[in-house]
Amino acid sequence: MERRSVLLTLVVVTVMLIVAACGGGGAQPTAAPAPTEPPPEAAPSPTPEPMEEPSPTPEPMEEPSPTPEPMEEAAAQLVIWADENRAPIMQELAEAFKAQYGVELVVQQVSFGDLREQFKVAGPAGEGPDIIIGAHDWLGELVVNGLIVPVDLGDKRDQFLDVALQAFTYDGELYGMPYLTENVAFFYNPDLVPEPPKTWSEVREIAAQLQEEGKVTQGYVLQVGDPYHFYPIMSAFGGYVFGRDEKGSYNPDDLGIDSEGSIAAAKWLDQMVKDGLLSPDVDWDTMHAMFENGESAMFITGPWALNRIRESGVNYAIAPIPDETSEGKPFMGVHGFMISAFSQDPLLAQAFLTEFVATEEVMQKLFEADPRPSAFLSVREAIDDPDTAAFGEAGQNADPMPAIPEMASVWEAWGNAITLIFQQQEDPEAAFKAAAEQIRAAIAGQ
Amino acid sequence: MIRVGTGQGTQRLSTSLSLSEVLFRLLALALVDAVAIWLVIRMVADGVWLLVTLVTVITLGLNVIFLREEFYPLRWMSPGLALMILMVVYPLVFTVYTAFTNYSDGHLLTKPQAIKRITTGLQNMYVPEGGITYRWVAFQAEDGTLALWLTDPEGNHYFARPGEPLQPARAGEGIFGPPDEAGVPTAIEGYTRLNRIQAAANRELPSIQFGLPPNAVQVRTPTEAAVLRPRFVYDPERDAIVDQKEGKLYVADDSTGFFVSAEGETLTPGYIVTVGWRNFDRLLNSPAIRGPVIRVFVWTVVFAAASVVTTFALGLFIALLYNDPTVRGRKLIRSLLIVPYAIPAFISILVWRGMMNPQFGVLNRALDTWLGFSPPWFSDPMWARLGVILVNLWLGFPYMMLVCSGALQAIPDDIYEAAEIDGAGAWKKFRLITLPLLLVSVGPLLISSFAFNFNNFNVIYLFNQGNPPMRGTPTPVGHTDILVTYVYRLAFASGGGKDYGYAAAITIIIFLIVAAITLFNFRYTRMWEEVSEHV
Repeated sequence: MERRSVLLTLVVVTVMLIVAACGGGGAQPTAAPAPTEPPPEAAPSPTPEPMEEPSPTPEPMEEPSPTPEPMEEAAAQLVIWADENRAPIMQELAEAFKAQYGVELVVQQVSFGDLREQFKVAGPAGEGPDIIIGAHDWLGELVVNGLIVPVDLGDKRDQFLDVALQAFTYDGELYGMPYLTENVAFFYNPDLVPEPPKTWSEVREIAAQLQEEGKVTQGYVLQVGDPYHFYPIMSAFGGYVFGRDEKGSYNPDDLGIDSEGSIAAAKWLDQMVKDGLLSPDVDWDTMHAMFENGESAMFITGPWALNRIRESGVNYAIAPIPDETSEGKPFMGVHGFMISAFSQDPLLAQAFLTEFVATEEVMQKLFEADPRPSAFLSVREAIDDPDTAAFGEAGQNADPMPAIPEMASVWEAWGNAITLIFQQQEDPEAAFKAAAEQIRAAIAGQ
Repeated sequence: MIRVGTGQGTQRLSTSLSLSEVLFRLLALALVDAVAIWLVIRMVADGVWLLVTLVTVITLGLNVIFLREEFYPLRWMSPGLALMILMVVYPLVFTVYTAFTNYSDGHLLTKPQAIKRITTGLQNMYVPEGGITYRWVAFQAEDGTLALWLTDPEGNHYFARPGEPLQPARAGEGIFGPPDEAGVPTAIEGYTRLNRIQAAANRELPSIQFGLPPNAVQVRTPTEAAVLRPRFVYDPERDAIVDQKEGKLYVADDSTGFFVSAEGETLTPGYIVTVGWRNFDRLLNSPAIRGPVIRVFVWTVVFAAASVVTTFALGLFIALLYNDPTVRGRKLIRSLLIVPYAIPAFISILVWRGMMNPQFGVLNRALDTWLGFSPPWFSDPMWARLGVILVNLWLGFPYMMLVCSGALQAIPDDIYEAAEIDGAGAWKKFRLITLPLLLVSVGPLLISSFAFNFNNFNVIYLFNQGNPPMRGTPTPVGHTDILVTYVYRLAFASGGGKDYGYAAAITIIIFLIVAAITLFNFRYTRMWEEVSEHV
């Protein structure tokens, strides 16, 4: 028994020593953004070991003119999450920012697919960034969970493309600073189609003629079941997804999937399939392969496909979306900077965006790193690459993709309706009406 | 520990340890304790009480097991038990708990967190009606205190310092240096002018009151400052949030997890609340569910059973073929046959998808040439189901082949000899000896393969997302949707975003179904019984 108590005491003492060492070592990593609760590591350690809290070293301000006075308190810093496309340019900009203002910008690379989910978890836990770069259709989710705060662009507001600002507006407030827009456009092969068609009826005629002459396998090619690429056709017939109110926000109560225009577009699609002008076996890869091989003369795609089309060597040209009874509009996706609600430096994040990023120089650099049309007007107008300029032109009248949470209910049902029409399993009007019912039930069921 | 064996069996364990063994054991135990204590401290700070309890219990348990001799046999099981509690029991308990809450998009925070989000922060400050919004430029004194140069919309300038009333001022007079084009002095005696980013880098800036409260000016954005009031304020007595700007009251509704006004408007974000059986009610009573769910359930059972039967049949067949050691090249062939198992399923399913494209896929072009027929794998429901089963067969048979090869070795040869003497042919030998003995050892694996394929999300989703779609259903559902992909659509791809509470409830229901089927299978096939009973 005596031996037992000796053993136990030894264990206890060893534990305490190790905990003390762990506790002292553990204090260090929590330097910069301090968690909301003070870490109570100091408390339970019984041995009075002094906790070494390394005081965050202030950056010595030796840089010339703009900052002659050294900072008294801790060196401010901003943490920004960017994906692999943007992290390199943000790193460059971070260095320029540091040189100009002496504030550190820490760039952390998080892949685009994971960014939103990780942010949802890291933000409330206090481990999140100050700024994220993301797509505008994340707004619904982020705002509803209280994860981001509104951005005030002040005077710089009119230097941005209006549609891009609308895209980042949710419930009447601007929740991010846009910098890049992307939308699909109409691609055609000038060898087969000398003039870009102006309406979808023309598209049909040209496709039928080319197929008859045997020059192509399929004149106009569209992938099965993809609502995103179908929307331009739908809007050209006057269809819409959600109606908009006076402020431009999408109204979830006004669903347009079963509106007259949408059904007209569905009927057009149905007729194309019946006449053999569209095939139900084409998916995304096949669609591009067909255009690149010259087996197809016209299709709709976005700037992400430019590289592969250029590499294939096929002759291509880009035009705005054809109209029909209405203007043909693509969906616009806007990428921008958003400020986290858990940021300790919201004012600094805001100042960084409006003072540093919202300038022609920085916006130009961002555009050069990722050549999609800029949302900053002066850069957008100065684009000299004809393809990118063409995309910009096609997107002039684009509709921002709805960012409201109810949009999540729409994609599935809408896509299914399109698939059913392609596969000739359902009458177009019935398919779209059924889809609209499903969506309304899903929205109401929350 | 050296067990002293005596003729009568060991009653007591010997305690003849060497000093280094003792020290090593104690150090290891002390290290585990230290890590546990450090973890518990961090978790208490975050308020994760369930984990705290679990870790404490496990650590105490480990200590007791390793320090008391009565628990000697448990020592070998303790790491497994500990990990099982942490990795299996805890997530299970947490999932069950989540099923009774409304944890979803819009309800991710706890009530205190939600209150904090709504009532604090720079964005909560607003300019009251009639308030003047100034443009500001910051100046910093030598001792570090800040002052603001304000310009109101009419063009009047003021100099504001904390604790002193606003002082009308003009650039170029007194201590104020000459003005720039905005009328702001380029320098002030005793102060340095800060640009916006330097000023904003000061974390305290938004909370500094420039001027005399209650009319002190505060900074709101990098360009504007004004007399600010907080918009949302929490009133603990009424458990409500007051909107001072609009004059509304939002009372906390703990049954839905929102702050609601009298008109039914809610504040974002909401918070997590327990909702009792509501998620289960929603699942079982929703008219949208009743229709397709039976069809989906039937197909799920058929798919899982077909997967097991086909993979087992093919795997067993190949194992029997190559069981004979005289077959040449069997090692090479077996290695090649493992390949489907080795390639990540994610990639191979997508490759199959491409190969089975009715118009351009390699497989269909070949079938078209030989048979004159190209099966519509993705548009016809029957062919889509067959396609999914075929792909799953390709993915799963190597596993069964390996397992059967091993189990076949375990059957003793003399039984076969005895059967031959009795005049049994090959088929009789297979049916009466090989198969029963095989099933005894492979049986549990078949059951687990069934359970796995019951929830095989990857194959279904990657092949065709559960499509082709069914027509005229209340919710989007496809012909190849199994229960888990259907549930994924319901919980994550519809409504207002991701509903984790609802998904947890559905998970529990699926678990109960799979557990029931599994238990029934075990009982029915009497898998647990001894080998000798079947020979």
